[in-house]
Amino acid sequence: MKTNLCVAQRTMVVFLACMCLVLPSSAQDTLQTNRLEEVVVTGTGTQHRLKDVPVQTEVITRRELEQYGGRSIEDILSGLTASFAFSEDDMGSQMQMNGLGNSYILILIDGKRLHGDNGGQNDLGLIDPARIERIEIVKGAASALYGSDAIAGVINIITRKYDRDGLLLENTTRGGSYGDLRQHNSVGFAIGKFSSLTNFQLQHSNGWQNTTIEDPHQTEFLITDSRNMTVNRYTNWQVAERLTYTPASNWELYAEGSIYRKRIYRPSGKYAAVDVKTYDLQYRNASVSAGAKWQASDKAVVTLDIDWNRHAYYYVFTDTTLVDGYDPYGNFTHYFPYFPGQSNLQSDQRRTMGHLKGIFDLPAKNRLSAGLEVRHDWLKAPMRVDNGGTVTDDTEALYVQDEWMPNWTNSRAHDKNILQLTGGLRLDRNRQFGLHLTPKLSAMVKPTSWLNLRAAWSQGFKTPTPKEQHYRYVREMSGTYLYLGNTDLRPQTSNYGSVSAEVNIGGFSLSVTGYINKVKDMIALNTIPNYRAPEEYQTQYELHKTRQYQNLEDARTIGVDVNVRYTVKDFAFGGSYTYLDTEAHQYDSDHERMTEVVIDGMAHHKANWFATWNHRFRCPYRLGLGLYGRASSERYYQINGNGKPYHLWRLSSTHDILCRAIQSHGLTLRVEAGVDNIFNYVDRTPHGLHLGTTSPGTTVYASLTIRFNQGKAQFKSFKTNSKINSNEED
Amino acid sequence: MKKIKFFLMALAAISLSAGFMACSNDDDVSNWQKYQDAVTQNVKSNKKQNKAILLVAFGSTWQQAYDAFDGTVSAYKQQFPAYDVFLSFSSAICINRAAAGENVDPRNFYAPNFWLNAFAQEGVRYDEIVVQSLQVIPGEEYTRVINYIKDFANNSNGDLDDEYLSKVVLKLGVPLLQDADKDVPEVAKQLNALYKTQAAEGAVAFMGHGNPDSYDTYKANVRYTQLEEALQTYSKNYFVGTVDMMGNFKTNVLQRMQDAGVTSGKVYCHPLMSIDGDHGHNDMAGDDDAWDNGYEPNEEGEVEETSWKKYFSRMGYVCNNETMIEKGLLELPTVRNVWMQHTKDAIAGEALDYYHSKNPEE
Repeated sequence: MKTNLCVAQRTMVVFLACMCLVLPSSAQDTLQTNRLEEVVVTGTGTQHRLKDVPVQTEVITRRELEQYGGRSIEDILSGLTASFAFSEDDMGSQMQMNGLGNSYILILIDGKRLHGDNGGQNDLGLIDPARIERIEIVKGAASALYGSDAIAGVINIITRKYDRDGLLLENTTRGGSYGDLRQHNSVGFAIGKFSSLTNFQLQHSNGWQNTTIEDPHQTEFLITDSRNMTVNRYTNWQVAERLTYTPASNWELYAEGSIYRKRIYRPSGKYAAVDVKTYDLQYRNASVSAGAKWQASDKAVVTLDIDWNRHAYYYVFTDTTLVDGYDPYGNFTHYFPYFPGQSNLQSDQRRTMGHLKGIFDLPAKNRLSAGLEVRHDWLKAPMRVDNGGTVTDDTEALYVQDEWMPNWTNSRAHDKNILQLTGGLRLDRNRQFGLHLTPKLSAMVKPTSWLNLRAAWSQGFKTPTPKEQHYRYVREMSGTYLYLGNTDLRPQTSNYGSVSAEVNIGGFSLSVTGYINKVKDMIALNTIPNYRAPEEYQTQYELHKTRQYQNLEDARTIGVDVNVRYTVKDFAFGGSYTYLDTEAHQYDSDHERMTEVVIDGMAHHKANWFATWNHRFRCPYRLGLGLYGRASSERYYQINGNGKPYHLWRLSSTHDILCRAIQSHGLTLRVEAGVDNIFNYVDRTPHGLHLGTTSPGTTVYASLTIRFNQGKAQFKSFKTNSKINSNEED
Repeated sequence: MKKIKFFLMALAAISLSAGFMACSNDDDVSNWQKYQDAVTQNVKSNKKQNKAILLVAFGSTWQQAYDAFDGTVSAYKQQFPAYDVFLSFSSAICINRAAAGENVDPRNFYAPNFWLNAFAQEGVRYDEIVVQSLQVIPGEEYTRVINYIKDFANNSNGDLDDEYLSKVVLKLGVPLLQDADKDVPEVAKQLNALYKTQAAEGAVAFMGHGNPDSYDTYKANVRYTQLEEALQTYSKNYFVGTVDMMGNFKTNVLQRMQDAGVTSGKVYCHPLMSIDGDHGHNDMAGDDDAWDNGYEPNEEGEVEETSWKKYFSRMGYVCNNETMIEKGLLELPTVRNVWMQHTKDAIAGEALDYYHSKNPEE
């Protein structure tokens, strides 16, 4: 606890020192103003300027992304906001947003749900960092549009679109320590009413090993030469294509598809109980979607989107391996053999969704959004799910949302005395769990031009996923761990409330948000006695621990988020701090009492800070320098120890060549380079226990972007809030 | 609504036909055969005699267990020079892990069905096959051993040579505590000979595995109770508990200790399992602590999340790393001899008649 305080105190000292340095200045800043003019869409599904968006929205702008030079979405989110915590392992990224894990966070790419998880963890490699235009973050199940299952919140990743006539060619190549390689390539062209954008991305890391020591409490003797990696070597690539056809100025049709592969390599050591591995992991994803947008009038827009996604998870064998299966005689066997190079399907998750949505300007300064969402989930896991290995689920939802802006005028000279109210209702119908209505309310008041006050209340509703209900698997980690689904699970409901105040004066902005999120019947993995495991498993495996999805009686997260930023001339300073407290209870039927349960991965204090300087020199060159820091106090877990507190620092630089000769040919040249974890902090906690951070220590990176863009930009402006924009979801 | 559903279905159909489906696996037959061929090749290259002994254990991934199995195979080879000796694991994970690994010689502890099939292949065809169970009690795992032999003898898959099966002499060596009247007193005698010093100093608690209640098919769990009774004829300080047997957890052992007036002093703990692996190191001697649940028993009467060491220590006894006897029963030559005697008895006894019982006309 002492260490936690130390980290928190140090963080605050650095933070305050930064603020003291800059606060006396009163210089105006265009960057900051521009930032507040940024248009966001996530909170309401309609466009608003950041400075007067009715639902509190955190934004990471493109400029901030470029300045930071993040290698992955995990790096970006953990480096630029304090609301997220990540821990990477074999399966993917265990992400937390204000204390709640992956399954409560809705990740959208251009308004569409990211698909697929392994062990409740999302594969964020699906997101190409070089394609991100901006990231919007909305806390709580605030939006009626995206589903009430976003109990922790929504991350909407807005990608760059090709909105020019002519031709776009773009390549970003980035290299870094530990064999880190990132490739991003785009080819876009537009001919008349038709346009095409093709993207290819590749991400690779050799992985790293922070320690060769295994937790001695889990091994029979001290092992100091384990081959288990802290982060495994991986390679993933994705090809995506988007075709757009605009038959008339008020119609747009699109079709898109993508293919994605990821392989996670697992080296094998010599200790059978600890680090011998006989297979790698592979994900094979595919997506197809099509849709239309019809601007019926300047007061009505209708969109239709149909998506199909597949996320399949395979073992790729590196050594002879016996797995559950059927022998050639049709009998179930625990000994079906696979040989190196072969693969075996573990799970295949497919989701088909249809979403019809309309936005209508109504009299008396109301704007109505209404929609219908239809969703079909299909899970096939031949050896991990009973009943033939396949389960399905169906959900439909109807929603309405009204935005009321009673004193809104198009010519807002002073931007004050503004009130915005947003109310939404979402009616979900699930095949197993029936109907459920969730209301949402948010309000923004702007008593003066420099102060925004916001309040929000929203209910969430999340039915157990087919995986949480039916999936089971065995994992070998210094002992056999059995993970079980639970068909007795009940849906989870949540109540989220927040109040916030935001001050924007010149280049200075400060926001303070307090929130509480109460989740009833929260579904979490809990350790249960081995004797509760199905007896066939007790007999088949020497179980070390059994974990099962269970409803907790109640859980709540309570916290405060503080964001501050100050920009003056070429400088920008800022940071964010979040305090979090969680409490969860589970009824222990064995002992007939409530017991307190740790929400895995929770840390009380997290903070980020930054100082950047951007300068355009007379010679055609712009230099950007940035110093970033992030810190976390101890992270708590139910089993295998707590994660140590840490703080990490990063130095980044950006170099834009702005030479006229280059620019006149439509070329952009950009170099980014930097050093991460400059004080070389490495968490060397023995393998098998939780780490605070998986950072390998000091790393360097450099990237080069070459972009050729020939053609005129199509003009797509943000229209005032009283009118409907034709590009609501960006 | 119907149109949307139709549209969704059409889109899904198009997507599927676009080739995103996983290819079906045509490896079923060839993989199975390839693996069986590898096992057969292994047997062929090691075949020196016309008779074979197959030792069948659950398996382990612990080094100490590997050493115990190696020692057992050596002892068998020495004791039964007319037989080729093979060791089988029934746990797939243990088989996989033992055979793989970097810079280590693979340990091929194939599953019983693959070994038995290999024994019947042309070029091998042992005249006599003795399957020796390395289980402690004749419970669930032992039942599975019997089933492997039955499947083999009955040619359940129809892929073996019936003529060979009608002639091969099949024998089955029973588990350590098969016979309550003979084996239980013998094992008690051997254990007492090894641990009477400890029993004179304090309690000696043996930790068996046991079957969960509904899996106690042959009521084999009773052997633990019988063994405790037999041991107590030597000293009231001997106790036998289990990990999984209802009514005989460590909590029940404590109760019996207290009832017997053993309320303080040393408690020695010893696995009553063929090898000292995960259970011995974690359930018996692990450092997990049940402090969080206040050491309260669950509805089955067991205190979870803690080891025997922590539990007895918490209950006021001297129970620590020094009183943990980390030995599997196969590491105790005098106890191992009981298994070996069962093998001798099987060889001397009548052959199994599974094949002819199913095919009476032959």
